[in-house]
Amino acid sequence: MEAIQVDGLRKSYGDFEAVREISFSVARGEIFALLGRNGAGKSTTMEVLAGFQRPDGGTVRVLGLDPVKDRAKVRKSTGIMLQEAGFFPDLTVAQTVDSWRQLVPAARPRAEALELTGLTGKAGTKVRQLSGGEKRRLDLALATLGRPDLLFLDEPTTGMDPEARKATWDVVTDLAAHGTTVLLTTHYLEEAQRLASRMAIMDRGAIVAAGGMAETLAAQTGRVAFELPDGVEIHDLPVEATAVEGGTVICRVPDPDVAAQTLLGWAGERGLRLRGLEVRTATLEDLFLDLASKENA
Amino acid sequence: MTARETLAVARLGGRIYWRDKQALTATVLTSLGLGIGLPVLMDRVRAGDPSVVAAQLLGMLAVVLTLSGFNQSAVSLTARRDQLVLKRLRATGLSDGAVLGGELLNIMVQGVLIALVTTVAVVNLTSAPAPRDPILFAVFVVLGAAVITLLGAAWTVVIPRAEVAAPMSIPFFMIAGLGAGAFGPMGQLLPGWLTTALDLLPTAAVVKVGRATFADGTFADDLQAAAVPLLILTVWAAIALLVISRWFRWEARRS
Repeated sequence: MEAIQVDGLRKSYGDFEAVREISFSVARGEIFALLGRNGAGKSTTMEVLAGFQRPDGGTVRVLGLDPVKDRAKVRKSTGIMLQEAGFFPDLTVAQTVDSWRQLVPAARPRAEALELTGLTGKAGTKVRQLSGGEKRRLDLALATLGRPDLLFLDEPTTGMDPEARKATWDVVTDLAAHGTTVLLTTHYLEEAQRLASRMAIMDRGAIVAAGGMAETLAAQTGRVAFELPDGVEIHDLPVEATAVEGGTVICRVPDPDVAAQTLLGWAGERGLRLRGLEVRTATLEDLFLDLASKENA
Repeated sequence: MTARETLAVARLGGRIYWRDKQALTATVLTSLGLGIGLPVLMDRVRAGDPSVVAAQLLGMLAVVLTLSGFNQSAVSLTARRDQLVLKRLRATGLSDGAVLGGELLNIMVQGVLIALVTTVAVVNLTSAPAPRDPILFAVFVVLGAAVITLLGAAWTVVIPRAEVAAPMSIPFFMIAGLGAGAFGPMGQLLPGWLTTALDLLPTAAVVKVGRATFADGTFADDLQAAAVPLLILTVWAAIALLVISRWFRWEARRS
């Protein structure tokens, strides 16, 4: 049984169609990334899956249950890190965790929850005095308090510094390694690429690309960029240039390693140097930009 | 909804309540100041007339219950709705009933405590007698606080955002006080239909039973006097529950 099964999900707010007949599934123990720009429908999808919103159409099953009708049962096995959700500002971090421990069955001990999220040193700090990133970590501590089978993470590292972000990635990776299924939405493509094994990209409420992370990126073109040497015309190059931006030639190619070797061999024969040479395989960012350019075309 | 979950939310609410300087000032200090201060003042002005002071106390109880129950419920729930605290509580696995029930239980308990402290203080500081039937009096204070707190939760349905919750709720304590005689015999100046309407308020039901428990009579007389107020409270509770079940919003409106 899949941890999450979505078939033909639709959700509107008034006249605005936030989610338009999307379908996807998430296997147990998998980290699945739901990506897209602001307003793409990611958070609405997550809210429906978490049982906060009732779908207008389609079917949604979370751990085999209807997240709206069986919300209490679903919630006992899920942890939710909402994109925005309030705290009691006058409680300390420790008091907040202690308070939530009373509301969550079989909750982690406070010390473990704080250590997991790197907040041990902030235990006595009032929530109102925490930075945005620290609040996100407290959010993660509360979401993981009940050792959930399924974890919803909506923009989990927004506002975190690079160190805290990496620490959070480690926590999520570790949870998944111990069998927790994770549904992640994020603006940070590097985060998705690093954490998720499968993903779906949403745009204007619909899924425009989906699949395994590695396979999807492998199907994309890579990129070779370098400064055009003096006296060389663009049509002299042995690899077709896709664009020239400020004197930098950009080649989008299926295999960037082979293209780079060809270019270096060609330049060596002519005693030329390819300054600023950059070679990289496709990234999620490239995929995003491709999708955007197709849309604009 | 389990009792354990509801009590857990109520305990959390109580913990927050007594740390919230705004709630303590707006609800506890104002309620106690008005509820105790005006009857004490009346006792000085109308010395030797305990029945007038007792009437003033009952009138002020209507104000106190409205401030600490209705207003606090409306203001607190709207703030927690807009700050997405209610949403976070719902994310824990608690049922909606436990979340809302716990929040309201906490507010109701604070309201009952304030009303009882007010009564005990006034009885001890003035010539007002203690109620002849304190148990029935206390039962109706509890029932009244419960219904008024529920009505505050129902009122959040029309409150667009937290900033306007207080101003949109203030008129109710004036209306409740006017109908209950908290501000003197102003009710006599009102048209008959308005007096009848004010008598149907939940606070008026509590005050009516209160009057019976302060006056001479028997337990049978008290029960007879409590029948219609109990019906009035039941109807208001049903209205509040209907509104909450149909239209209560757990988070700020999106569209």
